[in-house]
Amino acid sequence: MRYEMLDKPDFAMVKVTFDSPGEQMVVEAAAMVARSSAMQMETNMRGGMLAAAKRKLLGGESVFQNTFTASQPGETLYFAPAPEGDVEVLELDGTTPIMMSSGAYLGGAPTIQLDTKWGGAKGFFSGTGMFLLKAEGTGPLFFSCYGGLHAVDVGPEGYICDTSHVVAFTDGLDYDVQKVGGIKSLFLSGEGLVCRFQGQGRLWMSTRNPSSLAAFVQPYRPVQRSN
Amino acid sequence: MPQIEIGYRPAHSLARVMLQPNEQILAESGAMVGMSTNVHMETQSRGGVMGGLKRMFGGESFFRNTFTAQGGPGEVLLAQALCGDMMTLEMTPQGYFIQNSAYVASTPDVQVETQSGGFKGFFSGAGVFILKATSQQPGQVVVGAFGGLQELQCDGHLVIDTGHLVAWDATLEYSVDKSGAGWIASWLSGEGLVCRFTGQGRIWIQSRNPGEYGQAVGSMLPPRKG
Repeated sequence: MRYEMLDKPDFAMVKVTFDSPGEQMVVEAAAMVARSSAMQMETNMRGGMLAAAKRKLLGGESVFQNTFTASQPGETLYFAPAPEGDVEVLELDGTTPIMMSSGAYLGGAPTIQLDTKWGGAKGFFSGTGMFLLKAEGTGPLFFSCYGGLHAVDVGPEGYICDTSHVVAFTDGLDYDVQKVGGIKSLFLSGEGLVCRFQGQGRLWMSTRNPSSLAAFVQPYRPVQRSN
Repeated sequence: MPQIEIGYRPAHSLARVMLQPNEQILAESGAMVGMSTNVHMETQSRGGVMGGLKRMFGGESFFRNTFTAQGGPGEVLLAQALCGDMMTLEMTPQGYFIQNSAYVASTPDVQVETQSGGFKGFFSGAGVFILKATSQQPGQVVVGAFGGLQELQCDGHLVIDTGHLVAWDATLEYSVDKSGAGWIASWLSGEGLVCRFTGQGRIWIQSRNPGEYGQAVGSMLPPRKG
């Protein structure tokens, strides 16, 4: 199985070319763009209903995922996230799981397991939601964000990221949600809360966040009259 | 002066500001994406309470944040809220006029003040307002566009739709006017208000109009409670 990233970075799309029958790729519901017609598509709740419901309710992912199975060599599959933005692929080798914020997961090899992790009460106020999605196993993992994806290697000195811009990070990084600046900053800075990462690993952040776009559009909604 | 690199251009641009020890950058509230742990952020209203109030009425956020690298070099990542390109303007003796929502960040020596006067009335309804950036020393201002950024040269006269303005050299004279011969014709043309420039200087425009975009998307959304 080979994959190619197309139309990066603004409108990234993944093209997968299968080398042999039986090869599979798991993709979030509705992310498929195109596929060879002989390819089989199976819709399922990966990990069973409970795990799927947990992912949906807690991890912000769809209940259903589609598994595409190649029937012959050379078949292709295209998939893309809903919002405009970038997609990153990581070849997981089984040693370092990846933590993703709500909605960042796009797809991956069937050998990758997904689990919803409690982000801790500290995650309660964070834009990333209370829960994180943990991907572990081997094979390619695809995740996406609204906007550009900026990666930072976190060293012993750590790194600070606005909570609404956290996309993913390597498991093993410690993080704390905290405010920046003094108490005045909490209400007036417009910065809300930040994640302070510590340890050795990699952090991916988005250069835009969808809530800012929503906040911009909100005043343009028509106003409902009471009568 | 901090080194400023702009990446991910043009659609999802991100400004990476590299600060030497004790160097500072001021940024629009909410612009911070990430930063080193030794960067200290402080919220302050520069120019005192009156200066802050003046800015608040200008539609610009009342508070800007000052980022300072402490005990060593550090970086700050900054981005505007909407999609689009960003660029760094090097300060000139005459300075710049900047449409308030285009302002992203500036070096500490740059004075950023709200312009009052005739322009205000025309723009206030749209939440758009004009800032003037000046500096006696070398300095930089980071501006952001909704969509792409283009530099136009004004050689005498130029007319620009107010919704597409980002910034311009303060050497230029400007006035806000209806676009057509009469108010009705202007309204029907959909062009609304335009800015008429006179003189010699550069003007930076954005290829999309945020107000038009808001109306296009907002009108498709369910009504909100009034």
